[in-house]
Amino acid sequence: MSQVKIGLEIHAQITELESKLFCSCRGNYRDQRPNTNICETCCGLPGTLPIINKKAIEYSAMTSVALGCSVPDKIIFYRKNYFYPDLPKNFQITQYNVYGFSSIGIGGSFELDDSRKIRISRIQLEEDPGRIAYLEGGTNARNSALIDYNRAGVALIEIVTEPDFTNPKEVRLFLNKLSLTLEHLAVCDTLLEGSVRCDVNVSMNGGNKVEIKNINSFKEVERAINYEITRQTNMYKRSIKIVSETRHWDDRKKITFMSRSKEAEHDYRYFPEPDIPMIVLGDKFIANIRNHMPELPNQRFDRFVSGYKLSEHASNILINDKKLADFFESILKLYFSPVEIANFLITDFKSMILDDAESTGYLKNMKVKPEHIAELVKMIAADEISRITAKDILVKIFESGMLPSEIVNDSNSLKIADEKILMDAVESVFNTEKSAVEDARTNHEAINFLLGKVMKYTSGRADPKIAMRLINNKLKKPNA
Amino acid sequence: MSGLHDLQAYEVVEGIKQGLFSAEEYFSSVIKTLEHVESRLHSFITLDTDKALSCAKVIDGKLKANEDIGQLGGVVVGIKDNISTKGIRTTCASKILESYVPSYDATVIQRLKQNGAIILGKLNLDEFGMGSTTEYSSYYPTHNPWNLDYVPGGSSGGSGAAVAAGECTVSLGSDTGGSIRCPASFCSVVGLKPTYGRVSRYGLISYANSLEQIGPICRSVKDVVMIMNIISGKDNKDDTSMSSSPITINNKLEKFEIAIIKDLIDGSDDEVKRTIYSASEKFSDIGCMLDEISIKHLNYALPSYYTLASAEASSNLARYDNIRYGFNLPIEEYKWDTYFSDVRKNFGEEVKRRILIGSYVLSSGYYSKYYLKARGLRSLLKLELLKLFKKYDLLIGPTMPILPFKFGEKIDDPIKMYLVDINTVIANLAGIPAISLPVGFSNGLPIGLQIMAAPFEEQKLIDVSYALEQAINIQRRPKLE
Amino acid sequence: MISKDEIEYLAKISKISLTEDEAKKFPEQLDKTIEYIDILDELASDHSIILDLQEIKFDELRDDVVRMSGALPITRNLTEEGFLKGPKMK
Ligand SMILES: [Zn+2]
Repeated sequence: MSQVKIGLEIHAQITELESKLFCSCRGNYRDQRPNTNICETCCGLPGTLPIINKKAIEYSAMTSVALGCSVPDKIIFYRKNYFYPDLPKNFQITQYNVYGFSSIGIGGSFELDDSRKIRISRIQLEEDPGRIAYLEGGTNARNSALIDYNRAGVALIEIVTEPDFTNPKEVRLFLNKLSLTLEHLAVCDTLLEGSVRCDVNVSMNGGNKVEIKNINSFKEVERAINYEITRQTNMYKRSIKIVSETRHWDDRKKITFMSRSKEAEHDYRYFPEPDIPMIVLGDKFIANIRNHMPELPNQRFDRFVSGYKLSEHASNILINDKKLADFFESILKLYFSPVEIANFLITDFKSMILDDAESTGYLKNMKVKPEHIAELVKMIAADEISRITAKDILVKIFESGMLPSEIVNDSNSLKIADEKILMDAVESVFNTEKSAVEDARTNHEAINFLLGKVMKYTSGRADPKIAMRLINNKLKKPNA
Repeated sequence: MSGLHDLQAYEVVEGIKQGLFSAEEYFSSVIKTLEHVESRLHSFITLDTDKALSCAKVIDGKLKANEDIGQLGGVVVGIKDNISTKGIRTTCASKILESYVPSYDATVIQRLKQNGAIILGKLNLDEFGMGSTTEYSSYYPTHNPWNLDYVPGGSSGGSGAAVAAGECTVSLGSDTGGSIRCPASFCSVVGLKPTYGRVSRYGLISYANSLEQIGPICRSVKDVVMIMNIISGKDNKDDTSMSSSPITINNKLEKFEIAIIKDLIDGSDDEVKRTIYSASEKFSDIGCMLDEISIKHLNYALPSYYTLASAEASSNLARYDNIRYGFNLPIEEYKWDTYFSDVRKNFGEEVKRRILIGSYVLSSGYYSKYYLKARGLRSLLKLELLKLFKKYDLLIGPTMPILPFKFGEKIDDPIKMYLVDINTVIANLAGIPAISLPVGFSNGLPIGLQIMAAPFEEQKLIDVSYALEQAINIQRRPKLE
Repeated sequence: MISKDEIEYLAKISKISLTEDEAKKFPEQLDKTIEYIDILDELASDHSIILDLQEIKFDELRDDVVRMSGALPITRNLTEEGFLKGPKMK
C-alpha cells in the first residue's frame, strides 16, 4: 500500500452532564418529543446569553489530562460563524487556538500500543447543534426540513489528532481505546446513539487532504477510511489529481460522496466570544483534577493483574467492557475471590449476555446483581453445587432475580453428598446396567459410563467424587 | 391635576406614597402629554397603555391596602425597543423583528417591575442600535422635542425624546458607542452609561456585546441614582455582570481632580466649545481642581470601535433567519440558503453595511490587519485611561462634538455619521462609566457635558454631576404647544 | 479598493442579498469605511495583543443543575410530531 496519513476529529458528547453546556435544559435530550428540551438560550432568542456549565469544564479537563494534554491556567471561547438551520444562533460557541490563548487541552499523546503513540493536537469544549430529521426517501421528498433543537447546546468534547495513523486498523484500535478511556472517565457513554461522531482526513503519498465528515459511529470509521483509500488509489492509478475537498459518509450506501455547497466557502470568521469572560481556572484547579482523576484503563489493567492476580487475558476481557469490570469489582466487595469470580464472569456469565452486550445498559437493567454472583461463586467454591448446576441457576436468576440459595431450596438442586442416598442410586444403576458393570471391572471407560448413569439418576445432583468412590468400592466386591 | 408628568421619578413616588395624588392621576397626566406630542415626536414604536393603566390601578390598590408599592411605585418608564419585554413586541426598530413578541423579560425589566415601575411602551431607536439619529429606524425617525426639524440623537433617540418631552418620567436606553449619551445630550436630559458589567445585559438584544450596557435616561441626577440602584448588580443570567455597591446623592462634594480632554474640545464646534468651557468654570466654583490632558491613542479609537462593533454585529445578527421567530414568509419553495438571504434582505442599509464590514474584518485574509489591531488598540487605550485615572478622578469633555443637526444632513455619508461618535466611543472601548449632563443651549439646541470615571466609580460621576446640576440651572422642558 | 466580487463574497457568507440600489452604492461606501479603519494597520503588530479580556473565576460558574421553565420558546410552524418546519435542505 502506498503511504497513507490519517488524522481524526472526534466529537464526544459529555453524556454524564445533567444540563446543557450554556443553559439549564437537560443534557439528556434523548427520547423526548421534539422541541420540548429547549429554552430561550439554546434557541438563540434575541438577548439571551450563554452561561457556561462548570462541570463541563471539569470533564473536558479530565479528558485532556487522560490524553496527555496540558491544561492552561486560563481558557477562552470563540465563535465559529456559519449558517445552518440546525444552528439556532447561526454561530457555534467553540474554542480555538490562536494568539496566545488555547482551548482546554493542547499537545498530548495517546498510546496505541507499546511502540506507537498518536499525537493529540488539541481538545476543545463546544456546543452541539440541533438536528434536522430526514425522512425516508431523503429530503427531496419533502418541501421543508424538520428541525429539532432538543440537542442544541449539549456539551461536546472535540479531540483532534495529528495525521499520525498509517492504516485503518490503527484507527480502530485508537477509537476502541479512546472509547474505553472516555467511559472510565465517566465522560461519555459511547454506546448511546449519536454520542460519538468522527471526521476523518486522509491523504496519500503526500498529496492533498480529503476530509470525510458525518461518520456517526466509531464502527463506520474503518469502513469509511477503507473506502476512501480505495477511491484515492484508483484515482492515482488513473492519474487523476486528488483535490482537497470535504466529502460525506453515506451510512446506507457505505460510500463517501462529495458534499454539495454546505458552506463550500468555509470562512468561519472566528473571534473571541464576548459573552463569556476569560475563565481563570487557577492553580488549584488542575491539581484538583489530577488528584481526582478516575482510574484509567491501563492503570486498572495493572491493578487487576498485580492486585487480583488475574491473568492478562481475563483482565483484558473485563476491562474492555467497563460495565463488566465495575460489576466484577462490586462482587469482590461481597465475596473476595477474584480469580474465581473473574473466570465465572468471562465464561459462563459473559456467554449469557453476549447477545445483549451491544445494547447499552445491559448491566443496569439486569436482574442479576453482584450479590447473586457472589453467592453463586461461593457455593461453587464450597462444592455445594457443580459448575453445571451453577449455570442452570444463573439462567433462573436472569429470569427471576431470585437469590441462588432461594433457587436451590426451591428446586433441591444442592449436590447430593449423602452416601446413603448415593448408595441407593449406585445399587439401582448396578441392577439395571449388568453388562456395563461386568465391562467396568476390566474397562476403565465403562466406569465413567456408570458414573454418568448415577448422575442422570440423581438429576445431576450427585457429588461425582463420592459417587465414583462408591462405584469403585462396589466393583471391587465380587458378584455385587 | 396637571403638571404631574413634569415630576421627577423620586417626586412621583413620594407624591403617591403621601397621597398627594394617585398613581392613576399621575399616569393620566403622562398619557395626556403623550397624546399631545407623540404624533410630532414619534418616540414610541409600541405602546402598552391599557396594561400600563391597569398597573397604575394596582399601585393605587396596594397603597389603599397599606402594601409596599416599591421604590419605583407608579413611575412610568419607557424602554428602548431592543430590550426584551415579555408579551410586548420587541422590534429593535427592524422589519426583521416586526412581529416578534418575546417570551421573557430582560433582567432589568424584571427588576423594574419588582420595584413597582410601570412599563408604558417601547421606544424608537436606530435599527439594532446602529446609528446616531434614529433615522435608521425602519419605522420612522424620532424628532427632537427642542426643535422638530432636528434629530434627537441616537441610537436611543426615542428614550431621550420621550423623557425630555414628558411622555414618560424615565427611560432605559442602551449604549454601545454613545447611544445613551448622544440623545441625552441632544435632548437635554441626563444619561448614564454604566461601567461594563454593572448592569445585566440579559435581555438586551446584542449589537456589540463587548461594548454595550443598559443605562437610564432621566431628567435629573437623582433619578439616575434611583434607577441605577435598581437595575445594577450581578445576574446569574449574565456571566459578564458584576456586583457593585449602591450609589447615593451626597450633598457634600469632595475636591476632585478633574482633567479636560483637550483633543475632544479642539475637535468640537465653536458653540459647543464655548459652552463646555463655561460649564467647566463651574468646577472651580464647586471646589474642584481643573487640568488639561490629551489622549495619545485617541485617533485610533473610532476606527477601532467601528471594526469591533461591526465584527460582533455581523455575528450577533446572524440568528435572524426567520425560522424560530420573525415575520410570516412561507418556507415552501425555498432552499434554505436562498431563504436565509431573502429573509435577511429586510435589514436596513446601515445594518447591512455593518454586517458586511464585520464579515470583512473577520474574514481570513483581514483578521489580523483589522480585528486584531482594533483589539490591541482597545487594550492600549484602556491602559492609558486607567493610568490617567490614577492621577485624575474624572475626565471631561463635550458629549457630542457638534450641536443637534437636521434630518438628512449625514445620512448619505456613513463616515460623516460615524464621526459624531468620536467622543463617546472611548468609554465603551475602555468599559468605563460616563455620564452626559445638560449644560447649556445654543440657538435653542442642547449641549451636553460628558464626564468619565474609572471602572465602578459611578459615585464620583454622580457626586460631581449633582453638584453641577445644582450650580447650572438648565431649562429642562421643551415647549411643544 | 474593495471589489464587486469581494462584496458579493461578503454578502454570500453573510447570507444577505443586496438590492440593486445597495449593490450600486455599497462599493463606494464600504470602501470609504475600510479606508477609514485602515489607520489601524499603522499600529505595530505587537499592538495586536488582546489584554483587555474580562475574567471570571472557575468557582463562580454555573452548577450543573437542570432547571426547565414551563413555557417553550418556539410555538409557531410546528408539525404534529413537534418538529419545527424549516426551508428544505436540497
Ligand atoms: Zn436551553
